[in-house]
Amino acid sequence: MKNFKVTIEIMPLESVLDPQGEAIELIVKNKNEYKANNFRVGKKIQFSISSNSKSECEKQVNKLCKEFLVNEIIEHYEISIRNEKD
Amino acid sequence: MKKINFGIIQFPGSNCEQDCFHVISNVIKQNCRYIWHDSKSLRGIDCVIVPGGFSYGDYLRTGAIAAQSKISYEIKEFAKRGGTVIGICNGFQILTELKLLPGVLLRNKSLNFVCKDTYIKIENSSTRFTQLYNQDAVIKIPIAHAEGNYYLTKKELSTIRKRNQIIFSYCDEFGISSETANPNGSILNIAGLSNEEGNVLGLMPHPERVSEKILGSTDGINLFKSIVNFLN
Repeated sequence: MKNFKVTIEIMPLESVLDPQGEAIELIVKNKNEYKANNFRVGKKIQFSISSNSKSECEKQVNKLCKEFLVNEIIEHYEISIRNEKD
Repeated sequence: MKKINFGIIQFPGSNCEQDCFHVISNVIKQNCRYIWHDSKSLRGIDCVIVPGGFSYGDYLRTGAIAAQSKISYEIKEFAKRGGTVIGICNGFQILTELKLLPGVLLRNKSLNFVCKDTYIKIENSSTRFTQLYNQDAVIKIPIAHAEGNYYLTKKELSTIRKRNQIIFSYCDEFGISSETANPNGSILNIAGLSNEEGNVLGLMPHPERVSEKILGSTDGINLFKSIVNFLN
């Protein structure tokens, strides 16, 4: 078994209203010094997991995302996996 | 009429279970007991109530952690067998996370926690939850939530409309649906809906808070009485 460090980035889907992102954008725009837009607020989850291989690890993490960590009606996610020693 | 056995689920962070218990036991005089989230049995229960609150502190997503608890598995099986399940406020959020109801409850459009009386229209009075209300009747009922903004994809929305699954919608006191009467940004002003089979209901407003004259209104009591009526 190998140990992997997993990071999952979860973001609201483009089609879903993100009032937090909108509120932040309003403040930034009021500063008149940044030409920034399209703010979206999501979340990041990190954990360690033991698995036989990187591909098996990816399979397990995907399953966990779909059954618990992510609600795909409103969110999408990206997984990054690295060896724990790196 | 036989007495109906209600079971009220308690999660860490539930906070409306005593109100429900009081209404069931003392107002409509039915049997009622609490069921701890760690329990694995719903034996003897005719109707499950998933009450409001902040189960597990609303961590991850509202209702997401509660939906993974041992009793939630039992609730799912109970519902699949046709058992009567009602989720109020956080209970509604838990039932969507359990996929017993379609869609999801997002953060209110205003980003504020909204606690006030709202008017809702009975969109479908032919369900086991609403049969004692008149079709299109308008009732006044309080809400208290930060995540009540019901969302569903357009495709699914048209499906639930066709199947008359929308049970309650926010409106003004005359029954007119409008953006100003919508307290949280819910799509189509939806305040409550059922599953396709009609045995599971979720709603954001709190009927248990308006079920006694001493509390100023009894507009919510017919929801509980309808269930008793149906199960008899």
